[in-house]
Amino acid sequence: MHGVCFMIEVNNIRTSFSTGFIRRRVVRAVDGVSFQVEEDETLGLVGESGCGKTTLGRSILRLIEPDEGRVVVNGTDITALSRSDLRRFRPRMQMIFQDAYASLNPRMRVRESVAEPLKIHRMGDRAAIDRRVRELVEEVGLNEEHLNRRPYELSGGQNQRVVLARVLALRPEFIVADEPTSALDVSVQAQILNLIRDLGQEYHMSCLYISHDLGVIRAISNRVAVMLEGRIVEIGKTADVLDRPSHPYTRRLVAVPVRETPEPLESPVFPAAPAMVEERPGHWVEETTA
Amino acid sequence: MNGVYIIKRLFTSVAAFCISVTIMFILLRLMPGDYITMYLETIYRYAPPDVVEAFNHVYGLDRPILEQYVLYLLDAFRGNWGYSLIYKVPVLTVIGEKLVWTMVILVPATALATLAGIGIGAYSGWKRGSKTDIALLNGMIFIRAIPSYWLALMILIIFAYYLNLFPLGGYVDTGALITGIDPLDVANHAVLPILTLFLFSVTGTYYLMRSSMLMTAGEDYIVTARAKGLDELTILRKHALKNAMLPMVTMITLECAGMITGSIFVETIFSWPGLGMLTYKALAVRDLPLLQGILLVDTLLVIAANIAADLIYPLVDPRVQVGDNG
Repeated sequence: MHGVCFMIEVNNIRTSFSTGFIRRRVVRAVDGVSFQVEEDETLGLVGESGCGKTTLGRSILRLIEPDEGRVVVNGTDITALSRSDLRRFRPRMQMIFQDAYASLNPRMRVRESVAEPLKIHRMGDRAAIDRRVRELVEEVGLNEEHLNRRPYELSGGQNQRVVLARVLALRPEFIVADEPTSALDVSVQAQILNLIRDLGQEYHMSCLYISHDLGVIRAISNRVAVMLEGRIVEIGKTADVLDRPSHPYTRRLVAVPVRETPEPLESPVFPAAPAMVEERPGHWVEETTA
Repeated sequence: MNGVYIIKRLFTSVAAFCISVTIMFILLRLMPGDYITMYLETIYRYAPPDVVEAFNHVYGLDRPILEQYVLYLLDAFRGNWGYSLIYKVPVLTVIGEKLVWTMVILVPATALATLAGIGIGAYSGWKRGSKTDIALLNGMIFIRAIPSYWLALMILIIFAYYLNLFPLGGYVDTGALITGIDPLDVANHAVLPILTLFLFSVTGTYYLMRSSMLMTAGEDYIVTARAKGLDELTILRKHALKNAMLPMVTMITLECAGMITGSIFVETIFSWPGLGMLTYKALAVRDLPLLQGILLVDTLLVIAANIAADLIYPLVDPRVQVGDNG
């Protein structure tokens, strides 16, 4: 389009859940979302809880099957891949969860957790894998003695480092980080955040960083997308969007102090999805009637 | 795991045993009717008071209840569990003989039920919401809803009476009087009781395994494993199954102990000469020493199962450290 190579192209993705047995109710968690992430870029995704951030993150990786839409990762349309092709493609895109402790198998030692992805994708013989595991563990700021620990013997921050080492083992091109720091203490939060940013640059990873914390988003992302009720209502350069918000919801989001959920807007705000208009170069916002 | 913990655990077990003995002693004496009166009344339609008195004197039943209790408690620890009123031999001898026969049906039934319950439950939980899962779940609920005695009767009527595939009851053919006990013959008699016990026990294991698997399947590390590109079978085998199996340890050990009581109906209906039928007989004629003995064996089994579960747990779950108060 602009001559830029997009790492990720998400096109009009929709995911809905249905509940109820006799009276089926369909909830549209993600309702027609499109965006692109460039190479080495971190796109922040903000929005209050329940707006569909997590569902979007998982839908992009097809951990939840989206109802419709296309996701192109580095030229490969992953929504068109068969299950076995998708499995072979998986190492190239990874996910980090909020609760590091829960995303590690409680029975496995750090060494085994980090080595497993290397083993299943046959990246070298035993000695090579062992060497790589040590390297990775050091890279994320842990040391030899942590290798034989299990998740319950490590702190939250240390566990998140182990998760990071496990993700890096696969050298993914794209990661979805779903609030990886929100369960941590503020001081540890900063360390992990820096680690993700530095390693992201070192490994040339594109990242979709999901968070409800604007401070975190400001620190880590190049561009930011604001999500409301399953749709992206504003997207643009981080500073641009956060300092000069256009959409009423973004304004409200920016106005409240960090960590407080803003009052929900009177719903339904918009009966149908309005078109996006480009306010400034690269800063798109949903049309409002106001 | 340390020695102090084991000693503490043994101490609480002894306390639990004493409490059980006490409760049992009181409850059994609250039951209406006594052995000798009921015995005489069935034979003579009338119980001469002097005979009853003489009998009670011989067995020490005319002494103060508190004295009886203290004597019983002390003797229970000394291994003297009294004489059976029906069999006129030490209670432990009778129980020992019958326990063997109970084990003949109980061990295979429990082993099969555990294996099948874990296997089917794991599959059902892993494929949650699928047609197979729904069918299995409803089938298990159906089986569980049938009272065990009715289930036993139906199995008896269908397989033994109408289809004539297995004997109607007992544990050996009359031919055994001449040829001696033939293991194959015993096995043939044991099939239906084992089937009944199996059906009744498998549902509980299935439920627990299924819900445990449901919880495990939703964990982030399972999603991560999938995101890493592991195939479903490896995820199930390497990540899900072992973690979902943990609650089963407690279940299986307690199941082993609990099945003894569960076999009362089954043994009675199939005339299987085990501990269950013995319980029924002892209860019917108010053979209190024997009844107490059986219940004590049950208590000991439950206590032993609990200790076993506690000791096995740290071996299978690295997070658990027994006796470590942090």
